[in-house]
Amino acid sequence: MIIYIAALVVAVVITTALIAVFSKKLLSSIIAMGLVSLGVSGLFFFLQAPDVAITEAAIGAGLSTAIFVIALKKVKKGESEDEE
Amino acid sequence: MRNDTPILVKKITALSLITILMVGFFWAFTEMPKGSSVNVNNRVSRLYILKNVKAATKSLNSGNFFAKGMKPLRSDVPYSPITFGKSANLEDGAANVVTSIVVDYRGFDTLGEVTVLFLAATGVAMLFFGKRKKNIIKAQASLIMSVGTRIAYAVILLFGIYIFVHGHLTPGGGFPGGAVIASGVLGLFLGNDHYESNHLGLKLFESLSGMAFVIIGLTGLFSVNSFLANFLPTGVIGDLYSAGFIALIYIAIGMKVGAELSAVVDSMIVDTEEEWS
Repeated sequence: MIIYIAALVVAVVITTALIAVFSKKLLSSIIAMGLVSLGVSGLFFFLQAPDVAITEAAIGAGLSTAIFVIALKKVKKGESEDEE
Repeated sequence: MRNDTPILVKKITALSLITILMVGFFWAFTEMPKGSSVNVNNRVSRLYILKNVKAATKSLNSGNFFAKGMKPLRSDVPYSPITFGKSANLEDGAANVVTSIVVDYRGFDTLGEVTVLFLAATGVAMLFFGKRKKNIIKAQASLIMSVGTRIAYAVILLFGIYIFVHGHLTPGGGFPGGAVIASGVLGLFLGNDHYESNHLGLKLFESLSGMAFVIIGLTGLFSVNSFLANFLPTGVIGDLYSAGFIALIYIAIGMKVGAELSAVVDSMIVDTEEEWS
């Protein structure tokens, strides 16, 4: 049973990774990256590494996604100021 | 040093400072107390590493704990199974094997890791240094958001503290705990348009807990003759007050990482007024 769940998670990770690479919009790339981290942390849990899973979920899926979004917002703001 | 001092003087001062630091560094090496010679066979025993694995217990019960060709690392000490809540005064009393390696046996690497994170946070703070304006999140947060984040912040803070205080018992530790706390702070920033963090407090907290890590390590150096050596009794495995100095170090790391990442979030999310030159 657990192998099917793991396979599903792997499929989600691969799909979101492809989205993160090929997406035209940067924001959706960032969200997809957060989803990759979430799936990878689930995989770590399946592979009996709960320590790494917790770290990945807190840092990869939580903080770094937020920090990327903030950075994107700052960069866009700088661009619009230049155009004015 | 003032701005109008000649460059040569500045360079000579920097050079002499570096020289003094280098001399002190090597002098510390020669003057350091000689570490007690550690016999690796007496330390990380295979039995200890395997203590949680079901297979080990099963093969122990069936009478052949050691697979063909394996020899016990310490033939002089008879094997005694380690049980939670009973076994006391182990070499390293952490119930979480990962923690016992990360903080105890490889504590020096963790010190380097913390230093790397400190440098990264300092770099971010330098990059966004300037006069502060308000949040870059322009939209006014709704009532649900601003109240909900404040309520959630208390719970998130408690959970982060739980993660790093129980680092030696359950999965997790200083780094995830600090990250969880920082995400709570991020929630405060998102929910409140005019939220301002206490920058001096964050910096002070971070520096003090970083110093606490090194001081604990030095205490080990002067009491057990090895840097970052466990100098406290390890207690009964599975208890909250067990595993010696691991809990202390993880509390220091958790507070440091939490303050650091909160400062990173703070310096990124608050708009700064400066010339990008």
